[in-house]
Amino acid sequence: MSKKTTRSAKPKPDPDANIDTAAQKSTVAGLKKVLYISEKILPDDNQLLRLDRFYHPGKGKDALFLTNPDGQIMELLEYAEPRRSWLINSEICANGRVYMTIPMDTTLLAIHHLRKHCAQRAMSLDNIAVHEASTSRFLTQFIDSNGLKCVADAKTSGDLTFYKYNQERTLAWLALKTRHVAEILKQKQIHCGHSAQSQNFVRSEKLSDNVVNEMDYGRMACDIVGRYLDSDLHDQLIGYLHIPSEIQAIVEEKTAAQKRKSQVGLEGSNSKKIKLNSHDSDAASKLKLSGLLDSKNGKDCITSPPTMEPLKERSMTAKEKALAKGAKGTKSIASFFKVN
Amino acid sequence: MSITLDFNGKNLAKGKSLHLHYLPAKISGDGEANVETYFNNYTREAPEYGSGMLNNALRGYPLVGERMKVPEGYKGLVLQETEKPLSESTDRQLRLTGVFDEFTYWNYDKVPSNGDPFRQAMLMADVAKALSEPISEQDLEAEIRRNLESKKENDS
Repeated sequence: MSKKTTRSAKPKPDPDANIDTAAQKSTVAGLKKVLYISEKILPDDNQLLRLDRFYHPGKGKDALFLTNPDGQIMELLEYAEPRRSWLINSEICANGRVYMTIPMDTTLLAIHHLRKHCAQRAMSLDNIAVHEASTSRFLTQFIDSNGLKCVADAKTSGDLTFYKYNQERTLAWLALKTRHVAEILKQKQIHCGHSAQSQNFVRSEKLSDNVVNEMDYGRMACDIVGRYLDSDLHDQLIGYLHIPSEIQAIVEEKTAAQKRKSQVGLEGSNSKKIKLNSHDSDAASKLKLSGLLDSKNGKDCITSPPTMEPLKERSMTAKEKALAKGAKGTKSIASFFKVN
Repeated sequence: MSITLDFNGKNLAKGKSLHLHYLPAKISGDGEANVETYFNNYTREAPEYGSGMLNNALRGYPLVGERMKVPEGYKGLVLQETEKPLSESTDRQLRLTGVFDEFTYWNYDKVPSNGDPFRQAMLMADVAKALSEPISEQDLEAEIRRNLESKKENDS
């Protein structure tokens, strides 16, 4: 036992760590796959499920969906970590992925086809994309007409219903969806901020309420909804919800932090001033003084070329003096870059 | 081309229950292994890491694991493709090997926690459920009105 613990305490990096015991090695015909299947889509006694490929606007290409002859459809997600594999009974399964069916609103996928075909005129579903078999099958078999009415104007004539894409309704509908998602993100305390954070820490300390703000949830939710949309529609949704981009948010946060820092600095200098000129209690003169200092510094920066001379003229702080003393006899760093 | 999952409700109910381990290692190669003798026999309870935690080792690398349930509302299946497709257009069939409701999740030298990518990924099921909830006509109308009003406010 002691031997085992010392071994385990010092794990060596072994690039091809595998556990094939040569004696028992035998290849298994066919690859196994681990699938989490929703109980809602499980087949009856005489039904078989199918995996179908339909166009996925977020990916810009076909993706796999699990379908049931009843007209139920679920998206197939794949969870893959770089180094994972399964042991299934007494077999090794090198495919360490987990496939998972997730419920999906088919209206989200239908929006792409409506925008493409029904932006100008109303069409019935079986007239859209007649030459694309999979799209046609998708539209006629898996679309929920109630959902479709949320993103399109429907006109019924006899047995046929014609749909025309309605941008206003679509964006409002997507905004509601985004809000639903944001709520669940908040409820599940999923961390949505742009800075990395230890999940364990957040969870155990219950700090997440203070750390992540509303907008981060909104942005994450919008991105999740956007996974199903054409990119231009996603951008429109971002505009509709007034969500600032993540970069913008980071910049704003940084400037806020800097402001705070400079405010602290200002306060610090003020208090210093008060100590230095304790006899001069006039606030206006203090302000002028600091303003003068600023402008002088600014002038120095603009007019003087980056040489050592103007620096000497300026009164040096003790720190700078010490630095200059240490630098005596050494070359200026600029000299290394001169092309002479 | 289509892929059929070659089982129905009856097959599922009678499906063989499987014993699974989710290992934190890349293994190049599928095949038989003496899992019972060389792995299962060494699984020990490790209460020092928390309740329900287990430990074991894979080629000397320490593993910390726990029993994990398949998410609520889901069933775990293992499918197998008997023959590899010759071309994209051929019909394919996935056969049912067995079912599971629980498996052992192993981490390499790290106590399983909510910080693990796997656990976080499983939250996607809840998110997807929220996203797929239908939206009522009234809510939609209210949202359109709200948006129009806020637009007017911005314009004025």
